[in-house]
Amino acid sequence: MAAGAIRFALLLLGWAAMTGGADLVLGALAAAAATWCSLLLAPPGPHRVRPGALALLVLRFPWQALRAGTEVARLALDPRRTPTPGEVTWAPRLPPGPARDAFLAYASLLPGTLPAGAGRDGSVVIHALVAGPDIAAAMTAEEARFARAIGADG
Amino acid sequence: MSLLLDAFSLVAILLGLVFFVAGTAGLLRFPDAASRLHALTKADHLGLGLIVLGLLPRADAVGGPARLVAVWLLVLVSSAAAGPLLARLARRR
Repeated sequence: MAAGAIRFALLLLGWAAMTGGADLVLGALAAAAATWCSLLLAPPGPHRVRPGALALLVLRFPWQALRAGTEVARLALDPRRTPTPGEVTWAPRLPPGPARDAFLAYASLLPGTLPAGAGRDGSVVIHALVAGPDIAAAMTAEEARFARAIGADG
Repeated sequence: MSLLLDAFSLVAILLGLVFFVAGTAGLLRFPDAASRLHALTKADHLGLGLIVLGLLPRADAVGGPARLVAVWLLVLVSSAAAGPLLARLARRR
């Protein structure tokens, strides 16, 4: 119930921010429908989000987007440089489930990494634009940050 | 002040366009499907982010800035969901 109330409040806040507070009745109806869908599709899990760690993750993201974009742009535009793509096998700490899926989606936005399906023995295949030994370590560090933010690190 | 804001908008939007061009160059130049996905997502996210940043000072006071940021966030969320799916399909073939 509390999860539903929080999601409803956030959705309504988003509506108000985008419309400047117009048609709030319609907004409340839309937010209620969206809350119902979200509770059905993504029921609240056992994890409790840590606002501080989540804020750090969100504030760090523009910097990550800048690094990711400039790295790709330099490889694409500089004729002297070519990508050396490869696949790296990485062992996640997060158990299979919604938390791991969410992290893999997030990792696809980070510099140089693109999760590309499951490998052997529960590992995950990461496609790297410039393959190297530091990819797996970077993934593990990001996973720890992500797990702290969503409260999945126990 | 308005001249400064105009200059800021112009620089941010032009930089954003450079990253869209880079993403397209990567799409043409990179050797495999997953690398092309890197180019299409990461460079274009940054390009769109810079264009949104450049348009923010010019947005209507009511709701405009929030709508612009929402466009960026929705693109990020949809490509975070689609990117790994496409990479997995490309690898299976």
